[in-house]
Amino acid sequence: MKKLDLSTVLASAIHESKNHVGNLLFQLQSLKPHVEGTTGMGVVQQIEEGLKQINDEWVEYLYLYRLSSNGYELHYDCWSVEEFLDDQVFALQPAAAAKQLDLSFSVDASLVGVFDERLMTAVISTAVYNALRFAKTAIELSAEREGDFLIIHVDDDGQGFVSTTSAKAHHDDDTSHTGLGLYFAELAANAHRTQEKHGLIKRGQAPKLGGARLSIYLPQ
Amino acid sequence: MKGIEIDFSSKTALLIEDMAEARILQKKMLQDFGFKHIEIAMKAESAIDLLKRHKYDVILSDYNLGNGKDGQQLLEEIRHSNLVPHTSTYLMVTAETSIEMVMGAIEFQPDGYITKPFSQAMLQRRLLKLLKVKAQLEPVNSALDASDYEDVIRKAQSIATEIPVLAGKCQRIIGDALLKLGKYQEALQHFKRNLAERKMPWALFGQARALYYLGQFDTAEDKFRQLTLDNKFFVSAYDWLAKTLEEKQDIEQAHSVLMNAVSRSPKNLLRQMELGRLSLLINDPTLAEMAYRRAVFLAKHSCFDDAEVYLQHLRSIVAIAHTGELLPRQFDNFQNSLKKLQQNHSDNPQVRADSYAAEIELYYATGEVPTAKQLIEVWLHDIESGVASSPNSSTKALISKIQAAS
Repeated sequence: MKKLDLSTVLASAIHESKNHVGNLLFQLQSLKPHVEGTTGMGVVQQIEEGLKQINDEWVEYLYLYRLSSNGYELHYDCWSVEEFLDDQVFALQPAAAAKQLDLSFSVDASLVGVFDERLMTAVISTAVYNALRFAKTAIELSAEREGDFLIIHVDDDGQGFVSTTSAKAHHDDDTSHTGLGLYFAELAANAHRTQEKHGLIKRGQAPKLGGARLSIYLPQ
Repeated sequence: MKGIEIDFSSKTALLIEDMAEARILQKKMLQDFGFKHIEIAMKAESAIDLLKRHKYDVILSDYNLGNGKDGQQLLEEIRHSNLVPHTSTYLMVTAETSIEMVMGAIEFQPDGYITKPFSQAMLQRRLLKLLKVKAQLEPVNSALDASDYEDVIRKAQSIATEIPVLAGKCQRIIGDALLKLGKYQEALQHFKRNLAERKMPWALFGQARALYYLGQFDTAEDKFRQLTLDNKFFVSAYDWLAKTLEEKQDIEQAHSVLMNAVSRSPKNLLRQMELGRLSLLINDPTLAEMAYRRAVFLAKHSCFDDAEVYLQHLRSIVAIAHTGELLPRQFDNFQNSLKKLQQNHSDNPQVRADSYAAEIELYYATGEVPTAKQLIEVWLHDIESGVASSPNSSTKALISKIQAAS
């Protein structure tokens, strides 16, 4: 029997599963008018959020596969960082609200950055979903320019990274979690390259919220 | 962004979606946004028919459109033939997995995309943003629609300084305008500057085209090759690579590159035409006939429903006849294309003359001289009544040869 390339098989299985989730979400939309104003609406919204998160996770895994098999060609474009973060907050707000968490962003409106928007969208949603599990009340996105890098921060007010020296921080030594999220963020940041520099991620303490901070450095 | 208000109620939309449920849902979304007028096409072919007759402010097209052309092929075709003005907004609806094929087709990209699944609020947001950017780029797009490329460059330069976030888009537009103006050296420098910091596929593509036009075929070949390696969905790079190889007189290799491109994207009519042409150049009329037959099939409901497509198909069959290996099936194909040509293009005297020439040559090559002679008489009659043009010099020579034969 021919040996299977397991990662490719898994990727295409995820692919199909993701399409399936998409169909379910789609069908759920048509259910909404029928439950509007009833107690069922809350349940429908919960299911919707859950499915959306699964969808986003599948997207993350697919990117992860592509990045690690060098099959992903980046599509750089110029973006207003304020709009980008606004989009992320908009898309993830319901997930945060479902956990009674406040999700917001703050950034200089004139900040402009060059990056692969779709890839970074997957990174930010991964980071925010991760933060949702640890934050007590709030998550904040922010961004700044430092030298040749655009830095996007995802801060929360959880207990923060337990040990900064350990490669395994609290966000990924949770047994229910595989640590894939951070690995994905790292690969995605690293794929952003200029002639001289490449992107990276750093973990630290959120200065204002006091919890964990994930910083994504993108060369400009 | 500030100061621009978008009012959907003054706008028209075309929704292209093959799945009934999605169509109903998306139409309702557009209605809720307040669009003045919404039209619907269920597939690419009917969309083209609508686009030929109407202008829409917003085109919302699914990538997956069933058996016919997909959304990207539709986009390429209408961009290529300027069926949709640059001032219109084209939003592609894709699955996360097909988006790469959209983004990868560097030459013709939609103004934006939205990945399924999406909510009504998400679509509204995406549309508002796209329309705002369209409004900001309006001077550039109007100049593009007027094909005034000097003006395009001026407008794009001023927008790039005023609105930094649009600088990248403007740089790209400026480069393409320089190519349109034939300022290849300037274009080359422009694309090189944009490549200095980062590998941007559009800039690499521009650089390669500038090199091609400057006659630097070796370097151009390298760049086009790199583009095909970087991005397997960018099939245009294969077309350009084939053109470059042809310039280098390497017809065999050009042909095989194009065969590869056709296998990746078989629904592109112009590519099939190119393959037909190159197949004739390497003396493979059977392959040429297949490519042209495919082109004839694609021509229906396309922007390129041109007499030349049918004529080339006829000529490729004549070329087979000359080898003495014409199959009955191929003869039938000839009659089919001839009929289509007569139905749609017979009011053009030149087309009429060209189809007579092909027909006469076919009968001559298959030894049916009497039929060929009859056709010559009909043609001469048509010339007298002014509905057909006169034969060109090579056809004249053939006609004298046939008339002399017994």
